[in-house]
Amino acid sequence: MSRSGARILLRTTTRNARRLWFGTGLIAVHQACETFVPVLIGVVIDRAVTPGDLGQLLLWVGVLAVQFTVLTMAYRFGARQLMAAIAEEGHQLRLEVSAKILHPRGVRTDLRAGDLLTVSTSDADNTSYLLDYVPRIVGAVVATVISAVVLLLISVPLGLVVLVATPLVLVLLQISSPLITRRVADQQEQAGRATSLATDLVTGLRPLRGIGAQDAAAGNYRAVSRRSLAATLRASRTQGGYLAASTVLSTLLACGIAILAGWFALTGRITVGQFITVIGLAQFLIEPFGTLAVVPSWIAEARASADRVALVTDAGLVLPEGADRPAGHPCDLHLSGVRHGPLDGLDLHVRPGEFVGVVARRPGDAEALVKLLSVPADYQGSVLLGGSPLEQVERAHARRLLLVEPHHTDLFTGTIAANVAVHADGSDRHDGPGAIPADVLSAAAADEVLDTQPERLDALVAERGASLSGGQRQRIALARALLARPPVLVLHDPTTAVDAVTEHAIAQGIRALRHGPASGFATVVITSSPALLAATDRIVVLGDGVVTAEGEHEELGASDETYRQLVLR
Amino acid sequence: MTQILPIATARQTRGWLWAELRGRRAEVTGTLLVGLLAAAASIVPVYALGMLVDRVRDGAGTGAIVSISVVIVTAALIGGGAIGLSSYLVGRLGARMLADLRESTVATALRLPALVLDRAGRGDLLSRVGADIAAIGKAVSDVLPNVISALLLGVLSLVAMAGIDWRLGLAGAVAVPFYVVALRWYLPRSAPRYAAERKAVAERSQLLVESMQGLRTVHAYRLEQRHLADIDAASAKARDIDVGVFTLFTRFVGRVNRAEFFGLAAILTVGFWLVRDGSVTVGQASAAALLFHRLFNPVSTLLFTFDEIQAAGASLSRLVGVETMPVEQRGAGRPPADAALTLDDVSFSYDGRTPVLREVSLRLEPGERVALVGSTGAGKTTVASIAAGVLRPDEGVARVGGVPVAELPGETVAIISQETHVFAGPLIEDLRLARPSASVEEVSAALDTVGALHWALALPEGLDTLVGDGSHELTAAQAQQLALARLVLLDPAVAVLDEATAEAGSAGARALEEAAAAATRGRTVLIVAHRLTQAASSDRVIVLEHGEIVESGPHAELVAAGGRYAQLWSAWESRKPTSASTRSD
Repeated sequence: MSRSGARILLRTTTRNARRLWFGTGLIAVHQACETFVPVLIGVVIDRAVTPGDLGQLLLWVGVLAVQFTVLTMAYRFGARQLMAAIAEEGHQLRLEVSAKILHPRGVRTDLRAGDLLTVSTSDADNTSYLLDYVPRIVGAVVATVISAVVLLLISVPLGLVVLVATPLVLVLLQISSPLITRRVADQQEQAGRATSLATDLVTGLRPLRGIGAQDAAAGNYRAVSRRSLAATLRASRTQGGYLAASTVLSTLLACGIAILAGWFALTGRITVGQFITVIGLAQFLIEPFGTLAVVPSWIAEARASADRVALVTDAGLVLPEGADRPAGHPCDLHLSGVRHGPLDGLDLHVRPGEFVGVVARRPGDAEALVKLLSVPADYQGSVLLGGSPLEQVERAHARRLLLVEPHHTDLFTGTIAANVAVHADGSDRHDGPGAIPADVLSAAAADEVLDTQPERLDALVAERGASLSGGQRQRIALARALLARPPVLVLHDPTTAVDAVTEHAIAQGIRALRHGPASGFATVVITSSPALLAATDRIVVLGDGVVTAEGEHEELGASDETYRQLVLR
Repeated sequence: MTQILPIATARQTRGWLWAELRGRRAEVTGTLLVGLLAAAASIVPVYALGMLVDRVRDGAGTGAIVSISVVIVTAALIGGGAIGLSSYLVGRLGARMLADLRESTVATALRLPALVLDRAGRGDLLSRVGADIAAIGKAVSDVLPNVISALLLGVLSLVAMAGIDWRLGLAGAVAVPFYVVALRWYLPRSAPRYAAERKAVAERSQLLVESMQGLRTVHAYRLEQRHLADIDAASAKARDIDVGVFTLFTRFVGRVNRAEFFGLAAILTVGFWLVRDGSVTVGQASAAALLFHRLFNPVSTLLFTFDEIQAAGASLSRLVGVETMPVEQRGAGRPPADAALTLDDVSFSYDGRTPVLREVSLRLEPGERVALVGSTGAGKTTVASIAAGVLRPDEGVARVGGVPVAELPGETVAIISQETHVFAGPLIEDLRLARPSASVEEVSAALDTVGALHWALALPEGLDTLVGDGSHELTAAQAQQLALARLVLLDPAVAVLDEATAEAGSAGARALEEAAAAATRGRTVLIVAHRLTQAASSDRVIVLEHGEIVESGPHAELVAAGGRYAQLWSAWESRKPTSASTRSD
């Protein structure tokens, strides 16, 4: 795993090599110029101010101007190159991760949706920041080397003192950094807790108001907010202490060097200008040394992110490639002896033209059946669609033939029309929202949803359908499934949030739309709703993972006690 | 249709800030003094080194270094301590003010009238109590101490230069207008781009979230390529805006560099003339140049974080905006005479034009159980909300035991709606929201009443199990059971159930109906029901159509009367094939 993270980081540098090294070169020039600012101040004092030479002043201020121009231009163009590389790399990584997650054959990963989101956003970005760290390191090294050379040229012992003592002080300061990291992490965690509590309470505001618990909730928030404040103050104390220690140490270092240089100057070993250059450089050097001290932890962070990116991009796929085109009737779905999760030898044969109801005593059985039909993997027995094993059928073709609409409806941001006429190959079939047939909308009772929206089909579905009620979402999703006209359609509890009258109409609508005379379509509805079950041709009752009863609605209602318990009362 | 919540004007925000600072006068003064001490102590060494330069030029003996060394080292020690203390004090001041602000903002948010919130949508409020508070928190802890110390250092350095010679101070001040011009050039250009960047990133995240959470649907409808193309487009847009913002930033840096050059060149040149005419020594001129050079870093930090400060300011005005909103006040209240619920001639409209209820009057006797039925849009939920005091009627009044619901003690009426929420945290704390003083036994008893105790105890850590967003996920039915258990703990005289059993799926609904019946036993109950079994088991049924009551009476009477309810009942009945097995209850 860690090797793959390293591989991704390496690829990040190689595939952006041109921009990276061009940018890094310019950043090195920029750092060199920064280093020369204190040197030039010393030179101006020595050559112009001290002797009062106007010509020298003009000359060296001119040099300073050129130097600043080079400094700023090098930064401007170097940093732009690097930024372009970083942005592009983050974008590419995000696309690679997304493509893997969305792969039609399904990605095999334990990461949850929230974690996958983190990988595709912050981890992709953090990995690309490597392209920022490389030039920083190079720049810091260049600045250090130039300072060292200048210092050694001015005075060898002075140079050695600066070059040895500065890293020592920085290392000393690093010792306390784990404590700071811990305190800051604690502070951020507590702050995060307060934030999520606030959003949680506002999200649940209606239930909260319903029982008049706003005061209790505000009290809870206050308690968490105070804990967050305490953590912030703890972190702030630690940081303040660190700041005090680091300022004292680095100032003492700079002052020590300055005093030493002052002594050298007093004894005539260096000039006044050189003395000033040394003071300036000692002050300046803290920055590149500081960069070099923290960069390892940044790189470790990029590495950890790259590892997580690799976890996704290197993950295996769940389903085989699939190349079959079923030879049999495409509306024939045949499960025999299927073992999968709680399913324990399930036999189910849905024939062309049939409208079959499935009632599961345990909700887990229904879930497992739905999951198996949408992702036919890790099961024993056989699942045949038109005579071919489902997982062997070419993926897109299989999904065109067998559509599973899950109980949890997922709508996407866009208009209602875009959500209903959603088919990937349907762009040629539906030129506009007007092309959605009225019979589909009325069969799903989605026309009633449109009546509540002033913009009708063009009404926007916001935030994954949060702008619609549960029942409205279900009807839109049902219209989407019906419009796809798949040879085999599997619906899971499609009407749980719909009122009784509408549920009845929907049952009749599905029947009329998919099971008219001469229609060969097959439909499976997994539900315990009597209204839907009454409209089916045949019902299969699942108990403990196997079929325990089979028959028509009336028949089972009269004969089967489990069925009565589950469906009627 | 949606209005946004108010945003405080710059004046209101400044007013708030000023009032907060005045309220903490001693703390503010102390913080400032320590900050000034820190800045002064860090200037002294440079000044002293300038004197050393002059001693060197005067050809003084090596002994000259001793006194200067003492000064420098003392200043370093004091300065270091003071800067650390100052950073802590500034952080503490900011953190305390923020803590008070966020607590009062959340308290206000929780007490906003329902209608205000429905109109504004919850998204805006959520982003204020979430993102805005977090943004200010980050600014206060990461940016504020540096900004204050950079400001103080900048001002004091200029003062020190002016102290050497006023013309040197003036030369240093040459940089100030350049800095100001750079900022005034950059901020108005960057602000809209940063806003566009945030929007593009939010759009990108939304697409990613939708695709990942809706993965099953994406696969089922073969939408992979389309979603990927959308993600590609959104991500590329965010990338281009990022690069654009940064390009602008590099031009800003160029302007900052220009300011640095002009300032430094001015100091060197003025220093040159002043040394020539003998007003200052070479050491003093050097000290001024060094002081200025030392400002490069803190001042750029200050300038580069200015947009963060600006963003935090925008967040602050959004929070202060919430504070200005009127809230529902609920005092101790007048106790009702009995548990009878009445609505007298209640009319209501959401938009002020289309009436939703027209002069609805009804009365529930203490302990009576009444079902409210009718088709979608008939106004059932509005009646329920008015009865529970969530909405205020435009005309007419809702009372319990003769007291208007708005004036009742909080625990008299409770409403449970279809919208469930499991509050994140330990399960027991979720329930204690209804009664913070409830003991474990009381909570367990409430769970038992609604038939939830067995699964609650079976959770990994029993009643202490973390539930809700990001922890143990409960099913919709379990969430609704918790809502009913909260009702039991609150123990209100009047309970309103607004389709409280609807989302559980047809199998779970019956179990929930039993739980609801147990939770409301002995109370006056108004039930909004779409499952008519609930209506059949009530004492009385009220049928609402187009905002008016069209029928009212016991179930059997209304069925026999052959009106609207009889129609609804027969539609409900037709879903049941064998009448023998369905009439058992």
